[in-house]
Amino acid sequence: MSFFDIFRGILEGMDVTLTVTFMGLCFAIPFGLVAGILQHFLKGASRASVTMIIEFWRSTPVLVLMFMFYYSLPTVGIYLSATLVAASTLGLHVGAYGSQSVRAALQALDRGQVEAGFALGLRRPAILWTIELPQMVRAMLPTFVNQLIQLVKGTSLVALITMSDMTHRAKEISQLTFDPPAIYSALLLAYFILLYPITIFGRWLERKVGQGSGKLMEDHGRGV
Amino acid sequence: MVSNDVVIAVKGLNKWYADFQALKEIDLDVMKGEQIVICGPSGSGKSTLIRCINRLESFQEGSIRVEGVADQNDLLTLRRTVGMVFQQFNLFPHLTVLRNCTLALTRARGLEKAAAEDVALSLLDRVRIREQALKYPGQLSGGQQQRVAIARALCMSPKAMLFDEPTSSLDPEMIKEVLDVMADLASDGMTMICVTHEMGFARRVADRVIFMDQGRIVEAAKPDIFFEAPRNARTRAFLHQIL
Ligand SMILES: Nc1ncnc2c1ncn2[C@@H]1O[C@H](COP(=O)(O)OP(=O)(O)OP(=O)(O)O)[C@@H](O)[C@H]1O
Ligand SMILES: [Mg+2]
Repeated sequence: MSFFDIFRGILEGMDVTLTVTFMGLCFAIPFGLVAGILQHFLKGASRASVTMIIEFWRSTPVLVLMFMFYYSLPTVGIYLSATLVAASTLGLHVGAYGSQSVRAALQALDRGQVEAGFALGLRRPAILWTIELPQMVRAMLPTFVNQLIQLVKGTSLVALITMSDMTHRAKEISQLTFDPPAIYSALLLAYFILLYPITIFGRWLERKVGQGSGKLMEDHGRGV
Repeated sequence: MVSNDVVIAVKGLNKWYADFQALKEIDLDVMKGEQIVICGPSGSGKSTLIRCINRLESFQEGSIRVEGVADQNDLLTLRRTVGMVFQQFNLFPHLTVLRNCTLALTRARGLEKAAAEDVALSLLDRVRIREQALKYPGQLSGGQQQRVAIARALCMSPKAMLFDEPTSSLDPEMIKEVLDVMADLASDGMTMICVTHEMGFARRVADRVIFMDQGRIVEAAKPDIFFEAPRNARTRAFLHQIL
């Protein structure tokens, strides 16, 4: 097999990689936002339980969780598809990290703006939605991109629960032709091609946010 | 211009932060169209008093009525009845000047965007900053930002305005533009309570000047009497210090 054939074979796994990434985001974003916001606003025991959930997802290996959900749950009669297991464990893991930047971003906001919102007769949810969240999202965009990259990289684990992603394809190909150098450099190249544009985008965002120019902020303030 | 209708009525107000009593037995009636200036040393409770009026602070004893609304539960109506301007402007940096002004109109008053922008533009005009409507707060000078903050508060058509040291964080050359806007408001008959140490402004604009010390109103008098013949020794000491 030529390097090109190998590379093409690996790209066949791209759709699984992308599907898990996308579905993973569907877990990561809501979980990160809700957990971070709750941790900011709650007090006492309810806050402690939110913190516990976050810490659980942060301090357990994703691979072990995947095995747990994929191989152990069926013994108690719960069958989840590999895609769902992969997306939820990866997504919640990344979301748990994300929640901490959500909380930090909320705490960094100047209290005076919230008071100004109250003084104008806005309700608390309106203040959160129109004043705090847009600024928080803006401050968090670079972090968000980094976590997206972590998520894409993490999808290489799904090969271990039988999903045919790019890493799994590489394994399959290596059983047909024994050529590790070619196969694994093709795999690296595939991930690089996927991730490099995202890192470039992330760096661009970071500059944009750093400048504090209004444009980006406005896009998020609009229509909310 | 000052009428007999009481817009803000504070009675027997006592406020504690934990064990520390920040306000002691405050009684104050503010008439429609009246301008009141509050001064006093740092920590005397000036901010606390005006923040109690729109319930940014809660209090333990006494009552405050604004246009007859005394109900603690109707905070939104109460806050829409009084506008507030802060020392640090507290504009929303991610929104344009115009959107800063329309936000509460569309969100709290339920106005359509176009109608809200009409209101906002006319008030930005009134504080002489209409041409900056599409800029972001960070692109404006401190004096301009504070004028935007005044316009933003005026958008809600408040019955009274509260100012907490609106010029204290401004460079000297910008103080005048803000004070001029406030003086304009006053001459249009806006009911106002201003915490400020700008004594020239107090002399020119105030109907009554109030001196606070250690949580109490120590002296309240018309400006000519307040500045020429204060009764209280602490007031005299304070004036001596700042004038
Ligand atoms: N959140 C708070 N918790 C505890 N004590 C407070 C709090 N806010 C104010 N105080 C205290 O209450 C007293 C009155 O404070 P306040 O801010 O009303 O004073 P002020 O007259 O506005 O002073 P300044 O001229 O410095 O603004 C001060 O002694 C202050 O330390
Ligand atoms: Mg103060």
